Amino acid sequence: MKENEPKIVCFSCRFSWGYLVDEDDIYAKVENWIPIICTGKVDPVHILTAFRNGADGVLILGCPEGDCHYQDGNIEARKRINLLYNVLQSYGIDKKRLKLHLGTDPEGKTISSLVKEMADDVRKLGPSLKATSKQEKVTT
Amino acid sequence: MDKQKVAILWLGSCGGCDETIVDINELILGVVNSVELVLWPVALDFKYHHIEKMADGEIALGIINGHVRNSEQAELAHLMRKKSQVILAFGACACFGGTPGLANLRSKEDIFNWVYREAPTVINPKGVYPQTKCNIDGKELTLPNMLESVYSLDQVIDVDYYLPGCPPPPYLVLKAFTAFLENTLPAKGSSLASHKALCDTCPLNASKPDKIALTEIKRIHEVEADPTKCFLSQGILCMGPATRSGCGETCININIPCRGCFGPIEMVEDSGAKYLSGLASMIDVDDEADLQNISTQVRDAMGYLYRFSLPISIMERKKL
Repeated sequence: MKENEPKIVCFSCRFSWGYLVDEDDIYAKVENWIPIICTGKVDPVHILTAFRNGADGVLILGCPEGDCHYQDGNIEARKRINLLYNVLQSYGIDKKRLKLHLGTDPEGKTISSLVKEMADDVRKLGPSLKATSKQEKVTT
Repeated sequence: MDKQKVAILWLGSCGGCDETIVDINELILGVVNSVELVLWPVALDFKYHHIEKMADGEIALGIINGHVRNSEQAELAHLMRKKSQVILAFGACACFGGTPGLANLRSKEDIFNWVYREAPTVINPKGVYPQTKCNIDGKELTLPNMLESVYSLDQVIDVDYYLPGCPPPPYLVLKAFTAFLENTLPAKGSSLASHKALCDTCPLNASKPDKIALTEIKRIHEVEADPTKCFLSQGILCMGPATRSGCGETCININIPCRGCFGPIEMVEDSGAKYLSGLASMIDVDDEADLQNISTQVRDAMGYLYRFSLPISIMERKKL
């Protein structure tokens, strides 16, 4: 059962999520939690790398609209993610596996449950497929 | 002093990369006089067994164009690596997988099904597929095995230098030959082209406004593009910002936006992903609905962003 537990990578902005508590508290509760300085820093490269490394879903927690410390980082993130959906679809990765959630939670108490909620949504899609089912020999 | 041996090999190739070598015109005479060509299947009559008989490292420079998609191409790539001191990945297919790399959006089974059975023009009542071995009149015939994916050359063998382009322009080909002959090649692993993006050398760069704020994206055939203005500023997608410079802007100069055949810029892992970030910053739309609308205006995002570089992208292929 444990093996089928969806792996969710969670990027969360330190300005709105869990900034009042010790990072270690959140690391202990949330697997694959990546605190970042702004969702505007999240690049499609990071999201694709997460999927490449076996993530079943990627959740990005950002600041509410209008509250971004860097003015429009969260808006930029939203634009990038919308564009990235097209590409993910072609790669065979369902849109539901990538989500941007804007809000605020200074103590970070809801991070764990948001990740769990995402895991539940993603579980219904089945496990993330591997790139090739067999390793073919092309190198010596 | 004996001339250095040079081999030119094509793998999964259209022939354009061999053509571009010939396109250095009469200067090719100087090149062939300075080296001993030992293989060039499209032009000369040397055979693979001539290469097999050579000592390891006997070939000073092995130039390989084309991607790897079947077992024969993989074997030849390994053979060349063994017999060559320096391997140059020549052209977009060898460097990145090339346009045929888009086949990585399908499984091999899907491709075979379509090509040999389901395509409308196919007449194949017995549903015959090519086989790697078959017996005809007591004789065994063999074919190379088609691999599951398209690979760039450096996914199969160690590559020393890269010359990008579809094809690389003749002036860069000559520059590469000259560097080899004069022993002035840069550090191993280098691309033999500019380190900067196409925008750096683009004649339309000066026309770019300080801020590009797009509310819609247009396709090149839907509008009369102004040949004096940056395509992106007109809402027309151009891969220039995410593509290495060096082509001489041959497409831009005929009023066609860049498609990215020179591949990622220095140290960029995934040009499509990087381009998406850049494109997002140029879009001036906040409303969720408008944003979804403009996203649909990027038609065939995968085919546009990864036209030449899907095999070397982060995901490498569609998940099966």
